[in-house]
Formats: sequence, structure tokens, C-alpha cells
Amino acid sequence: MNVHVQPRPRSRQMILERVRAATHSVTKGAGELEDAYAALPRGYVRSGGLSGEARIALMIERLREYGAEVIECGPEQVQAAIAAQLASSGKHTFVVPAGLSAAWLTPGFEWKIDRDLIASEIEQAEGVVTAAFCGVADSGTIVLHHSAAEARRVLTLLPDWHLCVLRARQVVETLPEYFARCEQAPGLATYISGPSATADIEMTRIKGVHGPRLLHVVMVRDE
Amino acid sequence: MSHGSYHPILDPTKAPAFPSAVLPVLRNPQLRKNVAHAIDVIQAKRGKLVAEKTDWQELRTAGAAIRAHALENLGFYLEQFEERCTAAGGVVHWAADAAEARQIIVKLLREENASEVIKIKTMTSAEIQLNPFLESAGVRTYETDLAEIILQLGEDEPSHIVVPALHVNRSQVREIFSRTMGLKDLSDDPKELTNAVRTYLRRKFLDIPTAISGANFLVAETGSVVVVESEGNGRMCLTLPRTMITLAGIEKVLPRFQDLEVMLQVLARSATGERMNPYTSVWTGVKPGDGPQKFHVVLLDNGRSSILAKKTERQTLRCIRCAACMNACPVYRQTGGHAYGSVYPGPIGAILTPQLMELHHARSLPYASSLCGACYEVCPVKINIPEVLLELRSRVVNQGRDQAGRLFDPMYLGLRIASLIFSRAWLFHTAQFFGRVGLRFLRRKDGWIHSLPSIGGKWTQTRDLRGLPSQTFHGWWAARKRETK
Ligand code: SF4
Repeated sequence: MNVHVQPRPRSRQMILERVRAATHSVTKGAGELEDAYAALPRGYVRSGGLSGEARIALMIERLREYGAEVIECGPEQVQAAIAAQLASSGKHTFVVPAGLSAAWLTPGFEWKIDRDLIASEIEQAEGVVTAAFCGVADSGTIVLHHSAAEARRVLTLLPDWHLCVLRARQVVETLPEYFARCEQAPGLATYISGPSATADIEMTRIKGVHGPRLLHVVMVRDE
Repeated sequence: MSHGSYHPILDPTKAPAFPSAVLPVLRNPQLRKNVAHAIDVIQAKRGKLVAEKTDWQELRTAGAAIRAHALENLGFYLEQFEERCTAAGGVVHWAADAAEARQIIVKLLREENASEVIKIKTMTSAEIQLNPFLESAGVRTYETDLAEIILQLGEDEPSHIVVPALHVNRSQVREIFSRTMGLKDLSDDPKELTNAVRTYLRRKFLDIPTAISGANFLVAETGSVVVVESEGNGRMCLTLPRTMITLAGIEKVLPRFQDLEVMLQVLARSATGERMNPYTSVWTGVKPGDGPQKFHVVLLDNGRSSILAKKTERQTLRCIRCAACMNACPVYRQTGGHAYGSVYPGPIGAILTPQLMELHHARSLPYASSLCGACYEVCPVKINIPEVLLELRSRVVNQGRDQAGRLFDPMYLGLRIASLIFSRAWLFHTAQFFGRVGLRFLRRKDGWIHSLPSIGGKWTQTRDLRGLPSQTFHGWWAARKRETK
């Protein structure tokens, strides 16, 4: 990368020295650090106690509380469920990530497949269809790790309508369960808990400030 | 602007002391009503969502321990963050103080030939007074958080760290927007006001190629940065520009990615009374094809390492800026944020600001508290704010005292003598005896002392003192024992 700013090793060194001097009496040596971290108290709830059915019901309830529209379908009906949502959206142009199953691109609509689309092209689309990495029932959160089927970040941001396909098997009950599912920390991640909102004016909650104003979820019952 | 005649000063080096800074607020019933309303709404939501969490105390314990561990080993985790962030294509800069941070940022902007920049709400940028500096360097700044827009367009200052414009009501917002955006027919419906902003900012997001953000967390293990928000303006700034500059205090580091499972759960509930905030973004350096292709992190010390050095005060740096302490504070509820003369108001401001100023300024803030402890009780990372307040009070007193002249200071002498007497039982009993004898002459028939001689007179100017009873409890207890034998 082409960066012209002079490094300022002196401030770096000075800050690190000050930090080390400030904490020298409590800082752990390299070996002990691992153990000290492992010994941190973690008495909070890590895995939830809900049955499979109740877990999915909670996820759907939370999503609906946020004003998201949720429809359920069997693993065989995903295509039909998507088509129905598209038809009732009243929209015509959609962007999709390149990694999305081609079978989901219902004929009769205009599909722009994201092969380095520029922002203005994405902005002109009326909606976007993506997959997801995980759902967290406790808070109704949809987790995107922005893989090939989950789209680049900008795709789920500019269009006003987002249809997200979530599989029951991807839904966990608690946030710690999601972290346990990450074999490796994602480089990019977005956690969406309902459409964008603000309460900045007299604490009145207004939906849809900048992100998509409408969130639709197809819940695939594959468990 | 929205309070008529006065403009709040949020620069601790220039702001008046708290007791005089509160006066304009206490005389402004509209402002007080706006603040109280906002706080009641957040408090009610927070209370409900905290109550439903059966493991709330365990989450607080874990949150406090993770933050304390990160701070105790900050040198290690900062270097680890730098290494991982750099490996992922980010560039890490270190700023010892506010001036250096401003300089670094301006230099980066010059290299980008940036004449405009979009910003996500960051209190750290307000701490280093970045916007006025950039404007004077010829860079126009656009705040993109709704509340920050209200303040920027209304030439006002933040009064809260999560809902910075909570002191402004809808008709005041309407007035500001219609005046500055030229929208004559705007109503005061929050929905319409919000839509006006959506339209106003859409083009800016698409056109301005440089953005500045703060960070809620830095993750040492992965070199990632985490931003928590509601509106989506953050995602816009993090995704659309070519160049991204993140300004973060050195204390923001978490050891591992997984630590977010605790921090995110306590942050949203404490800050806005939600189970989870609408949008959380995690990114790591630069990802080809997705988001800004140049990424800089400026790590800011600005007094933090000296806070770290003090045992009691170190906990101040655990703060995750959720604002629960100010929402719970009976003083903040009456005064709002501006009186604290800093971008960090409320209980956290009362301990953080004087320390960032190394007690050269903001010396009245440690006294802006009733020490009721409500802030400690709600703090998701268990910062014992009252304990730090007391520590700072004693430092303020010691610092203000001329060490050589202290033997002539009646307050110092009085308290030294009192401490001598209270630590020895026989001296205490003797003093009690003489006190009773002495005060008897001042006691009136009604059993009260109405005026004390000398400096004691100041005290009795506005109150009466009950005369001491003829027998102490100790005396009565001893006599009673003798009788029952
Ligand atoms: S001191 Fe605690 S309660 Fe106050 S803002 Fe910081 S984390 Fe929140």
C-alpha cells in the first residue's frame, strides 16, 4: 500500500513505554497471560435451554417485533417462497451476490449479479437477496460474514428492501453460541437486529434511517 | 442555539466550574423537561431488558474482568493489535496527545486531497476537538449521525454520549432543519425529520470518498475494529468511501474476538435498552473488493496512560461509553450534560475529564455528585465511580494545598486534630467531656444551640445545632451495666 505518512516511532515507543511502566506491577509474563485469560470468570449463560421448535419460534417472534416480515417454508420450497416474496414486494430490479444459488433467481424479474458492481448501480436496485451465516434467537440478530452468498457489505446496505434466506439449522439461541460456531474469527461481519432505526428525536423510534427500510426473512425449516 | 442565549463550552480548559455552569440550565425549564423525558424513556427500557436477563450480574462480572485484564496487559494487547491490523492491510498510527492526533489526521486527509469528509459519531474526535481543527485546515466535515447533524447544523454541543441531542425537542429540530436545509414546509413529525436527513445524506455518502470513525472496540487477537450503531450511517461510512480513518483511545482493546459475546450483550442493553443494537460492524484491515481500500487507525493516548498508572483510577479506562451511569444519575437528570464542560458528561465525565486534564482543569467535577452509588450499580463493567470520585476529591484538595502553608490552614489543622482524637479512645472520651461542658454554656432553654462563636458561627448562620445530651451513650451503657450487676 502506498502510504506517505512518516511513521512516528517516537510516539509509539513513548506510549508503549508509558503503558508498560503504568502496568508493570500487574502485567503478566507471556506464559502466564494465556492462563490469566483462561481464568477470567465466565459465569454467564453460554448455551440456551430451548428446544429446537421453541428456538425457531423465538427467532421469528423477535424478528417480527422489529417489524421484519418472516415466512417459513420447507427445504423443498425455498425457490417458491422467494418467488412469492418477490412478487408481493412490488419491486422489479434486484441485486444478488454471485455466490447465490442460481435457482433462486426467479424469472420475470431483473437480476443484477454482483460482479464488481459500482455503488450507483447497486443503489438503483430496488432490493437485494442474500443468504446468512447465522441467526441469534435471543436478540433476533441476523449475522452476515459476507461470504460469496452473503454479499459484499454494500449490497445489503443501499437497496431499500432486503430478503434474507435463513436456515433453521443456522439459528442458535444465545450470542455466545454464535461465537462458539465461529471456527475462525471472520474478517468482516455485520450483525443486523432489525431495520435501521433512530430514537434521536425525543426518543421516538423511527425505522429506516439509512439502511434497508424493509427486511424480509425466509426461514427454511431444515431441522 | 437551541437554548436561546448561551452557548455551552465543552472544552475543559475553558469551561466554567460546574456550580456556575449549571445555572443557565437550571433556569431553562424546556431544557430540563427535554432531558428528563429522554432519560425516563431510556431508563424504563433498560430496566425491562436488564430484568429479563437472568445472568446480568454474571455478564457484568465477566465484562469487568475482561476489561481489567485487557488494561493490565495493555502493552501486549496493543502491540498484538498493531501487528494483526497491519498484516491485514491497515496502517496503525500512534498519537501521544490530541495535537498529534489532529496532525496525523490532517496529513492523511491532505494525501487524499480531501476537502470534505464524512464522519460517524465519535466522542474521541470531540475530545480532541477535531471538527473545528479540520474546518480551519480547509476540510469540511459532515456528521452523519442524526443527533450529531442536529447539533452540527444547530451549532450546538452534545449533552449525552449515546443520544447527544437529547436536550433538543422536535420543534427545535424542525426549526434547525428547515432553516439550514431550506425546507420550509417541514413538519415536526420525527418521521418526516428523519426522512429529510436520509435524503440530505444519501448523496454525501455516495460522493465523499473519505470517512472518519471512532471505534467501540479493537480486537487484539484479530486486529479487527468494531463499531456499534443504530442508524446505518456508520455502515455507509465504513463501506462506501475509498479511505477510512479510525480514531480510537488506546484503552479500547479487547483481548479476543469472542469477548464480544459479553461486551455486545451488556452494551446494547445498557445504552439504549435494546437486546441488540440494529447494526454492528466488524472489519479487519482492508478486504479487496469490499469497502475502503485504504484503512488507517490512529491510537490515541492523550492522558490515558497516566490514568492507567493509578491503582484506584485505572478502572476508569474500563468504560465502554454506554451512558448508563448518566441516565441513572440524579445530578445529571437535573443538569443535563453541558454543565460538565466536556464531551464526557455525567458520572463517567466527572471522573474521566479531570483525569484526562491531569487535574489542571475540571477540578469541580469530582464534587458534582451526591455519591449515591447509582452509577456503580448500573455500570456494565462495574466501575466503582464513587470510589474514584473520592480519590479524586482528595487529590484535588492535596493539589490545591500549599504544602508549606498547610499548618496555617484551619481546615487542615482541624481535620488533623480530629483524626488524632478519633484514633485514640481516651482522647476521644476526654474531648467529649470537655465538649459537653463547653457547649453547655451555649445551649438555650429549648435544648438547641442557636449560635456558635468564631468560625462555627458560619455554620449556625443558617441552621441550629442540637445541644449535646448530658450523658453519652458509652456513659449510659456503663452505668446500666453497673446497675444490672
Ligand atoms: S462508566 Fe460504566 S455506566 Fe458509565 S458509560 Fe462507562 S461503562 Fe457505561
